[in-house]
Amino acid sequence: MNAQIRPIAVTVNLQGKTVELQQLGEDALFGRASYGKYAYAVGCERLFGLLDRHGIKATVFVPGAEAEANPDYVAALARRGHEIAAHGWAMEAMDAPGIDERALIERTHATLTRIIGASPHGFRAPHGKLTEQTLAHLATLGYRYDSSFQDDDRPYRLDADGGSGMIEVPQSEILIDATLYAQRQTHDRIMKTWHEEIEAMHRERCLITLTLHPRSDYGSARASRIAALDRLLTWLRGLPGVAFMRCDEIAAAADEFRSEARRG
Amino acid sequence: MTSLAQRTQHAWPDGARCVIGLTLDFDGTSLERGRDQLPFGARSHGRYSAKCGIPRFVDMFTRQEVPWTFYVSGYDAEESPDLVRSIARSGIEIGSHGYLHEGVDPGDAEPELLERTHKLLSDITGTAPKGWRSPSGHKTARTLHKLRELGYVYDSSDKDFDLPYLLRYGGQEHDNYVCLPNNTSSLDDFPFYRVSYTPPSEVLTHWMQEFDAIYAEGGYFNLTVHPRVGYGSGSPARVAIVEKLIEYIKRHDGVRFVGMLELAQWCLKRPADWRRDWSGQ
Repeated sequence: MNAQIRPIAVTVNLQGKTVELQQLGEDALFGRASYGKYAYAVGCERLFGLLDRHGIKATVFVPGAEAEANPDYVAALARRGHEIAAHGWAMEAMDAPGIDERALIERTHATLTRIIGASPHGFRAPHGKLTEQTLAHLATLGYRYDSSFQDDDRPYRLDADGGSGMIEVPQSEILIDATLYAQRQTHDRIMKTWHEEIEAMHRERCLITLTLHPRSDYGSARASRIAALDRLLTWLRGLPGVAFMRCDEIAAAADEFRSEARRG
Repeated sequence: MTSLAQRTQHAWPDGARCVIGLTLDFDGTSLERGRDQLPFGARSHGRYSAKCGIPRFVDMFTRQEVPWTFYVSGYDAEESPDLVRSIARSGIEIGSHGYLHEGVDPGDAEPELLERTHKLLSDITGTAPKGWRSPSGHKTARTLHKLRELGYVYDSSDKDFDLPYLLRYGGQEHDNYVCLPNNTSSLDDFPFYRVSYTPPSEVLTHWMQEFDAIYAEGGYFNLTVHPRVGYGSGSPARVAIVEKLIEYIKRHDGVRFVGMLELAQWCLKRPADWRRDWSGQ
């Protein structure tokens, strides 16, 4: 691995109407409860179309229920070179009372494996919520990495946290689109924030994990937001030494990134 | 046939390249009354609508000579019948917007509330409303059932598409009712003035960028504003940026400002053009 590489992970949480279906029935998914339906109607193709135009392979975290409802679309994303990873079954928080998290993880695993024809290697917890057992369940199923934590500048080993043999590919809160779009910040404010944060992370050789949603409320998929993201990706691609990598590739090279950063 | 989401050219009225629907939701004291709150003191923002915000918007729209659409709740119409009547007489479409701005599902009471508002607005304006905007975005299959029974042909409430499309509910598509989506996270004043507390000049830039992206794809631009203070746009600086936005839009070729009913009727005359691909949804 080239010691100069500075990895950027573009990740997408494929959250459609499973979000709203947590609270409401199909008959009530209108009006303000219809934002989730934007994903498969418009948002996904706006977002993945943009990533394709930039030649960026993303890691797509997919709730099992979304994949089951749209198997052809998810399979096609895998064929386009994006990595399909697990994102819970239907947006249940793993630490919610009465949840059989192991059953949900296994169900999602089986569903994604069937649809994409291969086992997913990565997991991201819905709402970022885990229990002390979550990582162990994932390790048992052969998962290689998690991407739910927000506690490091670089990938690290999860053995001490219950994820035997697993790697953490951390996110950063401020680089999650929902953090800012849910607060209804303007395009310009969000791009200014991201430029400032990313410039400094790049200087210090941190892992840059961008997390996007194909939605029009807390996500990046409206035409105007795609236009803003387009400009950001163009700038990112011009930064010295950067390589866009999928989370599975970053996890595989995690040890190298840590030692290079120490030398760096 | 290219699906509606993939189509890059749409047949708009007058061969326009891009259509613009400017919508104003009255949001007077119906909001507070609906929550059993007395609209006094710090809860008096809704009173600003009829007194200051609406007259300021009417003057501005008149000065700009653009059509707009006014969504009014039954209670606000009862409180300000002369104001609503005079706006209707000037040729502006009045659509309905709940009775007490019911933001949560009113349950079994909903059909009667929709009917009461429908009758009130019909009596005050002399014309039965044909368009509806959900208060706070609440809308279910039950709402649709009653609206259709009352003769409505469109509503402007959904957030799941960027273009008009034929209604589907209960597994069935209807070619006599069209959804004209709005977006309350980006093309609405509430998110910026209440959630992120953004200065008006930055909101103007944001909306201009929204317009640029929609205009670039020859789409449909729907702006939702409220004539209140607080979360709304009724104050001088905020009406001024809506006016600047209109002036900016007018500097582009092929833009057409439409009333929402006008747009709905245009779409319903060509239902095949506005059929969505529902696969996987």
